[in-house]
Amino acid sequence: MEAPQYVAARVQRALAEDARTHELGIRVDIRGDQLFLRGQVDGAEQRERLGAVAHETAPALHLHNEIKIVDIVEPGEDEHLD
Amino acid sequence: MSTLTDLRIAAVGDVHLGEDSRGHYRKHLEGIEERADVLMLAGDLTRHGTLEEGRVVADEFRDLPVTVVAVLGNHDYHSDQQYEIASELRDAGVTVLDDDGAVLQCGETKLGVVGGKGFGGGFAGKSASEFGEREIKNFVAHTRHIAEAWKVALKEVQADHRLVLSHYSPIKETLEGEPPEIYPFLGSYLLAEAVDTAGADLFVHGHAHKGTEKGMTPGGIRVRNVALPVLGRAYGVYCLDDCD
Repeated sequence: MEAPQYVAARVQRALAEDARTHELGIRVDIRGDQLFLRGQVDGAEQRERLGAVAHETAPALHLHNEIKIVDIVEPGEDEHLD
Repeated sequence: MSTLTDLRIAAVGDVHLGEDSRGHYRKHLEGIEERADVLMLAGDLTRHGTLEEGRVVADEFRDLPVTVVAVLGNHDYHSDQQYEIASELRDAGVTVLDDDGAVLQCGETKLGVVGGKGFGGGFAGKSASEFGEREIKNFVAHTRHIAEAWKVALKEVQADHRLVLSHYSPIKETLEGEPPEIYPFLGSYLLAEAVDTAGADLFVHGHAHKGTEKGMTPGGIRVRNVALPVLGRAYGVYCLDDCD
């Protein structure tokens, strides 16, 4: 059986290199037959694409897509640099 | 609209606009002229660096009521269309820096902005050197050439305030939250050393999505990581006191 560290590294590399995603900052963890994705992206479509690429790369694992979507809020207080 | 007392600099990086993002970011820029005098874009404006995405970015930042200055990031280089993307942005009225500088007239005040993408290599004591294989030498030399260009540009700029705009970080402090193992791919102390030598009022960068907003170079220049996931808001606004 392949060491889970290599599978996680392969998934992380796919998320960065696959033309559908190109996402560098996603954490990939594997526990037994469970695959967890964590991080932040700016939209639901990108989260779904990341889940799809991860599943294609490690189809035997049960995917938990825990990636959060960043909410952009209005600019807050100015910072004065003096 | 600028005031006589403060120079208000809005800044954000890593907006990562794709072809399905048209109009998404623009709505957050409404009223920016009430909050800031200029807008700085700290790279990674696209997801995959395609020309089509570059056109989305150009449209999002076109004809804003404040001056817009941008640098590109590593994502914007991915499809080898960085020059075409920069050209689209320039056609939309955005000043794009590529290891050079520009002077903006903001009311009574002149703001000099110097910068470019920047690059990695790591931080003092834990950095790569120009030694060994050609690939490693090229990696480090790329950052060194950038730092040298910025130092020259900063010394040449005649302005009341000077700001450095980069994608990569000059210090470790604003990377805190990222895995330390990848710091050499997130920035280089050579950028800080160059800017500390030439002098500046503020250094703005992106790239490190899990990093920290505020830090300072060894020479005391304020550094702000304005990556959108770090800010959690449409842009940060930093006010410099008007010059004496």
